[in-house]
Amino acid sequence: MQSASMLLKKIIRSSVLPFAAQHGMKKDLFPLSRTLSLSLCLEQENSCSRSEKLDLDAWKKVMKSRLQEEVNETVSECKEPATLAAAREMLEMWRLAGKSVPENITEEQLKTFMECTSKSAQKKYLKYLHLKELHKKNDKRKMEEKRERRLEAQERASETGVRKNNSFICLWANCMDKVYNWRAAQSMVFGQPLVFDMSFEKDMSVREVANTVRQIVLSESTNRRSVDPFHIHFCNFKDDSLYHKEFIKHYREAWGKLLITVTDQCYTEIFPKDKLIYLTADSPKVMKTFDHNKIYIVGSMVDRNIKTGVSLARAKRLGLETAALPLEKYLLWNTGAKNLTLDQMMQILLTMKDTGDWQKALEFVPKRKYCGFVNKPVYELKKTLSLINTLKLGKRQEELQKQFAKNYSKKQTQK
Amino acid sequence: VQPPEKPLQAEEWNRLRESFQSPEIFEEVMLDSMVKCNSPIDVAKSLLTHVAKSNGDIAYKLLVRYLILCVQQRQTSEILDVYDIMKSRFKILENGAYTLLIRGLSNSDQWRMALTILEEVKKIMIPSRTQYECCIKAASRHQEMNLAFELYHEMLAKDLVPTLDVLQAFFDFSRGMKGAELQKELFGILLYLRENQLCPHKTFMRSIKLWFESIPERNWRGHLTNIKESGQCPVCSRQLEDSSLTEEEYNNLREKIIRDVIHGTDTFRKTSPQEFEAFQKFVENRLPFDVVIDGLNVSHVNARKMQCENLFNAVNYLAKKNTRLLVLGRKHMLSNSSNWKREIMQEMQNKADFFFAENISEDDAFLLYATLRSGKHCKFVSRDFLRDHKACLSDSLTRHLFRKWQLIYWVMSKKMLFSVFIQQPALRYDCVVQTTGDTWHIPYKDIFEEKYSYRVPRKWLCIQQK
Repeated sequence: MQSASMLLKKIIRSSVLPFAAQHGMKKDLFPLSRTLSLSLCLEQENSCSRSEKLDLDAWKKVMKSRLQEEVNETVSECKEPATLAAAREMLEMWRLAGKSVPENITEEQLKTFMECTSKSAQKKYLKYLHLKELHKKNDKRKMEEKRERRLEAQERASETGVRKNNSFICLWANCMDKVYNWRAAQSMVFGQPLVFDMSFEKDMSVREVANTVRQIVLSESTNRRSVDPFHIHFCNFKDDSLYHKEFIKHYREAWGKLLITVTDQCYTEIFPKDKLIYLTADSPKVMKTFDHNKIYIVGSMVDRNIKTGVSLARAKRLGLETAALPLEKYLLWNTGAKNLTLDQMMQILLTMKDTGDWQKALEFVPKRKYCGFVNKPVYELKKTLSLINTLKLGKRQEELQKQFAKNYSKKQTQK
Repeated sequence: VQPPEKPLQAEEWNRLRESFQSPEIFEEVMLDSMVKCNSPIDVAKSLLTHVAKSNGDIAYKLLVRYLILCVQQRQTSEILDVYDIMKSRFKILENGAYTLLIRGLSNSDQWRMALTILEEVKKIMIPSRTQYECCIKAASRHQEMNLAFELYHEMLAKDLVPTLDVLQAFFDFSRGMKGAELQKELFGILLYLRENQLCPHKTFMRSIKLWFESIPERNWRGHLTNIKESGQCPVCSRQLEDSSLTEEEYNNLREKIIRDVIHGTDTFRKTSPQEFEAFQKFVENRLPFDVVIDGLNVSHVNARKMQCENLFNAVNYLAKKNTRLLVLGRKHMLSNSSNWKREIMQEMQNKADFFFAENISEDDAFLLYATLRSGKHCKFVSRDFLRDHKACLSDSLTRHLFRKWQLIYWVMSKKMLFSVFIQQPALRYDCVVQTTGDTWHIPYKDIFEEKYSYRVPRKWLCIQQK
């Protein structure tokens, strides 16, 4: 085939072509190139002398010659059930079409993909897998680069043969762990309790539960590293729940050795009711100071699709006191929801416990959510805000400013 | 990138590619810009030839982009060629390519080929509504109405929502055609519009009118008209369907609102069981009310006045008409503050019944309950569209009932600035496609007119037999 087309090409290049074309013999000569019709050929002959040498349909020949080779190859072994294999094939085509689809996909992931109820859900899931794959690849690359650099540095060090004198044996990580664990153990006996309410599993999707557990793991580690840790309680914790599975995924064997209290009891059964305060962004009451004698409860919940009032409802049902962080009072809020992640909550509470300084504690609120700290009267703030808006948004500022002023005054009067 | 005007030689493409900032995606970007500029197809072919010769293969992405160009320029034989190549090269294609092929072929004399491709798509997934749309249009364009309707019903069976365009195509292409079966199908489409509360646009309405008038022997005549407030059609002087809910629908709606809106997943989210019980008792003892007022909402009508003054005006205005009023509010209204004066509150309580909910409860849920409990004649005053409560309802049928009910029982304060409350005459007739057998009434909207979901169309097409 290849040699035949080469031959054809040679014929085209030679002066036979115009003659052949004029006499309508082209079709017989090249049965594959259908669309290069007679009139087109003549036209091009007049317009540009060079393109006549170009066989515009040569790509079709190449593609067709290839397919024969490949058809033989593609008879590959299929172990998967037919539906999964079909889905895998479809994903492969999507990938070829340039959509964000992961290169490798496990059978389990494929099943989750097929269980998605809508097309947009499928797309989202694939994009998520794709990004995950990209991150993993990047991390791996960076690790390798790092290792190479380290090896190089070691070589250089061994060449020069310099040794440092040090009075401590280098056992940092291990020692620190012991110190932290000592503190955490102390907090188990003397520390102020902090409750994570683990009863929101049915309000969340699988991914939200995974996110929640991730955030709790982060907050647990910040707590462990702090000077004066809380005594963490996981209340309403059911064994074999999704939470439990996710925790084991993160901690593995360490799950049994964690210096926290895990119980399936409710906090109302463990602590006196009048000492409990449920922290929720929906609460009408605003926290003024951090009380060292109270027991604060944080709802372990991530809500991506905004369900307002879930944790407030829980507190109402149990007749508990509620409180919200004084975000409005100290921060000039910009965008974003007022509910913070669990690790941010933990950091804020730890700072409040140590210093009692709201300004310092609220540093942990993400910067994108607020414009700055409130330290002047409101009317001056409005002025600064309008200035910011003029700089940022140009003409639209007036309406925005009006809107903001309205909102702000409304909130002030409500208080 | 600016695509070249004439086919280029391999060396020239190479040169262009090297001058491009990221050579890996040069071909994709180039083909994209060719699609944008609608360049001659030969240019694209020369690029593909260059790619094929240098790589020995052409990526799927490039083939799809070339296909876009072919479809755009209606190069039927090229589309078929690309299809052949793709089919032999890949086991299945991806949805985008299928859509392109169907669209390209359905517009040509090879339209039956589009149907075979649609069959192929069905084997691996549910075809999209655009794919069906192209095939249906092609079939009806070639007067194969049976085939078109077959596809249409198949599409509905798969829960795909047809576009108004497809429905219009049916009316356009069956104009002047005979057959009782066909007529039945088209009436079926009109009933589909009715069931789904769809409102045709102006050109669609015109197609419907022309089709009716083209039916031989039956002598249909269509007129454009505006329906009177009373619900009487000025052309045929028939009364349109009553908009009020039937007893069954009404009770159904009330049940669903109590279940989904007030209780939902957790009664504590909007109120508390004790409070709701107290409210229920309160309402039962004082039934029925004529007007229920959302106190807090009304009190914000005029920002320049004190909040209780606004409410006072509203209550006074409505109390003059000897109606039984219920005002819903929250407890904080009772604490003597700058916005809520105790004397005024006291005076109001002589004229109307008041219920004060907890400050963290939602009073809207109570508003709905009290209005629905009082009966069909009861209205409520609020500027709130209650969209969040509508969203709580679990099924779309109830949501529609809710909308219908809301349209009727909504008293708007028109002149908010003067705090004069004028009762807006609620619509007495139902705004859906309707028929009595020998007449049809079809509401329509001007295509460029911005339509708000809460504003119902006022323009109608009246069709009657002479």
